[in-house]
Amino acid sequence: MLRFLALLGGIILRFTETTGRVLLLLLQVIKMMLIPPLEIRNTFKQALEIGVRSVPVVLVTAVFTGMVLALQTYTGFKRFGAEALVGSVVALSMTREMGPVLTGLIVAGRAGAAMAAELGTMRVTEQIDALETLATDPVKYLIVPRFISGLVVMPMLTVVADMIGILGGYAIAVWYYHTSSILYWKRAWDYLELSDLYGGLIKASFFGGMIALICCYEGFYTEGGAEGVGKATTGAVVISFMTILISDYFLTAWLIA
Amino acid sequence: MADSVIEVVDVHKSFGDNHVLRGVNLRVEKGQSMVVIGGSGSGKSVLMKHIIGLLRPDSGRVLISGVDITRLDKKHLYEIRKKFGMLFQGAALFDSMTVWENVSFALTRSGMKDREARMVAIEKLRLVGLRNVEDLMPSELSGGMRKRVGLARAIAHKPEILLYDEPTTGIDPIMADAINELIIKMREELNVTSVAITHDMHSAYRIAGRIAFLYEGQIVEEGAPDEIQNTSNPLTKQFITGSFEGPIKVEGISVS
Ligand SMILES: Nc1ncnc2c1ncn2[C@@H]1O[C@H](COP(=O)(O)OP(=O)(O)O)[C@@H](O)[C@H]1O
Ligand SMILES: [Mg+2]
Repeated sequence: MLRFLALLGGIILRFTETTGRVLLLLLQVIKMMLIPPLEIRNTFKQALEIGVRSVPVVLVTAVFTGMVLALQTYTGFKRFGAEALVGSVVALSMTREMGPVLTGLIVAGRAGAAMAAELGTMRVTEQIDALETLATDPVKYLIVPRFISGLVVMPMLTVVADMIGILGGYAIAVWYYHTSSILYWKRAWDYLELSDLYGGLIKASFFGGMIALICCYEGFYTEGGAEGVGKATTGAVVISFMTILISDYFLTAWLIA
Repeated sequence: MADSVIEVVDVHKSFGDNHVLRGVNLRVEKGQSMVVIGGSGSGKSVLMKHIIGLLRPDSGRVLISGVDITRLDKKHLYEIRKKFGMLFQGAALFDSMTVWENVSFALTRSGMKDREARMVAIEKLRLVGLRNVEDLMPSELSGGMRKRVGLARAIAHKPEILLYDEPTTGIDPIMADAINELIIKMREELNVTSVAITHDMHSAYRIAGRIAFLYEGQIVEEGAPDEIQNTSNPLTKQFITGSFEGPIKVEGISVS
């Protein structure tokens, strides 16, 4: 029991310390964002990197999520004769919840892991020290572009995921269950509010920034050679996943209120 | 006194319980070629990182041309850094860039156009004896070539001070001698002040104007190469002759 408490205390201590250090990094990033020169070329490169790495998986995930949503809703709602609502359930679920969260998990797993591994490798091979000796601030040069890309690219990917998911739902509702095509679009459209869409995009942007920040943090402060890079990478993905899922609840509660 | 470019004054540094530097004092004059020798893990790299301000000491001062860099804010520190070029032990080339982009990094960062930067990079690569490598990626180079590209990058912005972290470690003896030769050439042609750290005594004698021996976190002896060679200090003597027997004990091994 005592050992358990000690373990728990250790975890809480490490959690608060890490949170504090991530926030310090965030402050540094924000400060560096305001000082010229803007790293425009670099930021574009990073944005493209995140997009290219994530798009294929986002497409596949979104289409199947839309499809399974339609499948479940149709069979479930049929019991009380509400199968005409498939369109609105798919549209609401995708835009408000599934789009941003699934895209976030994918971006964390692909682009985020790559960020942690790349920065971690740069740390242990002294490339980050080399940047410093060449009078270049590594936070500004490496982290700021990734952070901005995360903020911007995540909502873009999420819009794509939303659309593809709704199309996936359409395929099942209309082609497989032969419900009315017009009704699917009408229901999807009628009950969807603009706030659903931009609420989802606010979440997406928040997730994108957090993923970049956490994964860069893990990579940037890597210690202990190649083994350390591996640890940093898995750590980055796990913490990003938890952060997305936990903050999703609180963001949703805040957006609803 | 006026002419000392680097002055390390009573620097202490610990990492947790590991008290690495225990009051290091070192002075390097303008145009001098200082070599710091010492065993693996004795803190040579840590000392070098203090000289260029990558690490801050727990106590003590580091003066570069009379300016205490341990108290500078980032902006002024980066200004001072422009005086330095550093060759890292593993070369630390940027993996994601071509050779010429590596070499001209500091130049393009300070606004030089790509075309011109590429020309300068090719010229610097020639200076270290490399041709037709400018468009390769670092992963395509051998260890010795990587070090030479690292050297070209370190000299591209015409630094006044060059730092070499184990320039000859991990490459074959012939390539090592070529690197020694280059270090001498840099001093003669570019007229720089330099600090090299190494545990390779052969290299130390070749390139050094002065040699300092770092042992247990302090500089225990400093002098011209022939003074070091004829030292009466038993610690230094054991180190430079590479003898197992002497006052320095290798943990876990004993002869009886
Ligand atoms: N950033 C760091 N964090 C913790 N310990 C470090 C760090 N850098 C160096 N050390 C420790 O300091 C000691 C000296 O390292 P170093 O200067 O690299 O030795 P060397 O003389 O071989 O260059 C080693 O015990 C090393 O583990
Ligand atoms: Mg070293």
